[in-house]
Amino acid sequence: MDVMETKTASQSQKLMIFVLTMSLYGLATLFTELIPKFQVGIVEFSVEYFLFIPLVLAMLFDPLSAALGAATGELVFSEIMLGQFGGLGELEKFLTVTIGVYVAGKVVSDPRNRKRVAAAAITGTGLQLLMGTIVDICKVQFAIEDFEAVAGLPESVFVTEGFAFLNDLLFSGILFCLLPTLYLVPKLYGKIEPLLGMKPRTSANVSGHISMKIIAVCLVGFICAVVSQMLAESGFELIGWEAGWAGNTTSMAAGMIVAAAAALLILIAMRKNAAEKVSDTK
Amino acid sequence: MIKKLSENILDKFSMDFLRSQVLKNAYGNNDTVIAIRDPRVLLIWYLFFGLVPWFVHDIIFLLGCFLLVMVTTLLARVAGLVLFLFGLGVFSQTGYLLIVTLLFGGDASAVAPLLVLTLKVATVSLASVTVFSGLDPDRLSNGLMWYGCPERLSFSISYAYRMLPMLMEEFQNVMLSYRLRGNPPEHDTFAGKIRYLVYQVQIIIHAFYPLMLNTAKRSRTTVEALEIKGYRYAASSKEVRKIKLSSLKLTVDDLIFLTVSFLWMAVVILICGMLR
Repeated sequence: MDVMETKTASQSQKLMIFVLTMSLYGLATLFTELIPKFQVGIVEFSVEYFLFIPLVLAMLFDPLSAALGAATGELVFSEIMLGQFGGLGELEKFLTVTIGVYVAGKVVSDPRNRKRVAAAAITGTGLQLLMGTIVDICKVQFAIEDFEAVAGLPESVFVTEGFAFLNDLLFSGILFCLLPTLYLVPKLYGKIEPLLGMKPRTSANVSGHISMKIIAVCLVGFICAVVSQMLAESGFELIGWEAGWAGNTTSMAAGMIVAAAAALLILIAMRKNAAEKVSDTK
Repeated sequence: MIKKLSENILDKFSMDFLRSQVLKNAYGNNDTVIAIRDPRVLLIWYLFFGLVPWFVHDIIFLLGCFLLVMVTTLLARVAGLVLFLFGLGVFSQTGYLLIVTLLFGGDASAVAPLLVLTLKVATVSLASVTVFSGLDPDRLSNGLMWYGCPERLSFSISYAYRMLPMLMEEFQNVMLSYRLRGNPPEHDTFAGKIRYLVYQVQIIIHAFYPLMLNTAKRSRTTVEALEIKGYRYAASSKEVRKIKLSSLKLTVDDLIFLTVSFLWMAVVILICGMLR
């Protein structure tokens, strides 16, 4: 029973929280990926936000494990399983979800305090959405050459992204994050913790508060997210990628073709030999 | 007629359909040309087609990449649902931008850069569809592990693929039990329709309460079973890793796959150079 006495969760309990958040949030994001969005006028009613699941769990359990579990769950279930994996760009989503959920979980010291829970839920969601919006705007600005030159594009990007942010925050944020969190946290409090062999969180046994260090780490994470998006989508020309063979592209490409064709012939011959050997031994 | 059509679509889009599509995507096609490739080779291949298109603005080069990944996607025999989602994703990323740009007084000059962007997005997502949907999940997680990805990630992948059908079924059961006990509002009028929608959303959120408790119990069982098998020690032990990864073997066919891709790209670059 000494595990129950310790203030923070043990390693295996952290793994339990990780697995729990991962499977639940992964399942939810899988559905959102599959359910088509429907639009009324220009207001988009996407059921995008099941973020309340990791929010609730981060408030009740160890925030870091829950945050990492949620981000991994989304990555694995809805991106990799459905083949929607966007490479380096996924790092942005991973980091913003982790930061949003982690901060929300850290803010709540006692889950019975409803005001605190509500504030944390909307802060976490808003943080995640805001970071996503900033990254999105930067992404479009850098991905398209001559961004300013295309008439009407800069304004349209700012308007659509800003509108999407407000729409998400007011619609999904309140309906799918705030209200479910307020409903689920008090209901689960004291019931779900014993299932993982833990004591409910009170302000006495919480593992520390928001400090400067956490804020700094979150900031660094956010910068990483922006940079990763830039690298993934930007006009970051690979050094010398185009200039390098601008002069003698044709000869170089011809050389590459000859080399590749030769390699292909050798490989096919090798394969034939191997196949013959196998049939010989049989 | 329209009613019939929408019923038909709704029938197709049931929970069981989703489940079977996801499962088919994961385990249904283990014998395709893509699925039996060495995961390490495929990941290198993906690294090229997932990154390089972002940095190149040449339309012919991008078209070449796109054609190649289209062929590999066809070879991987990806489930229809995934391809549908791919189309939806590409449109939602760039198609709507085009429409809004036109609304804000942009003209045909906006089309060319957006076409480039669309090609980039399409190429990169098709490459990922090929690799991550075409490959067996166990082989994929082994391949990722070989490149030094955290053990947690490959554990998550294997776990997700095995548990997902069970989780989906459980979610469905909980939802159905709520529906059986509930009394949905009338939805003939417009106000009634809104009430009905709210009711549905409410049920989904309520359903997560038992689901969370059940999953908590299950994840405790899972972790305890893992601990008995020494999972946390195995995750950090080099010997275990070696045994796990010994199943990966590079064959001549894998090299042929790489070489053919390389040859194709070289031809594309040659054409680019000649047209410039």
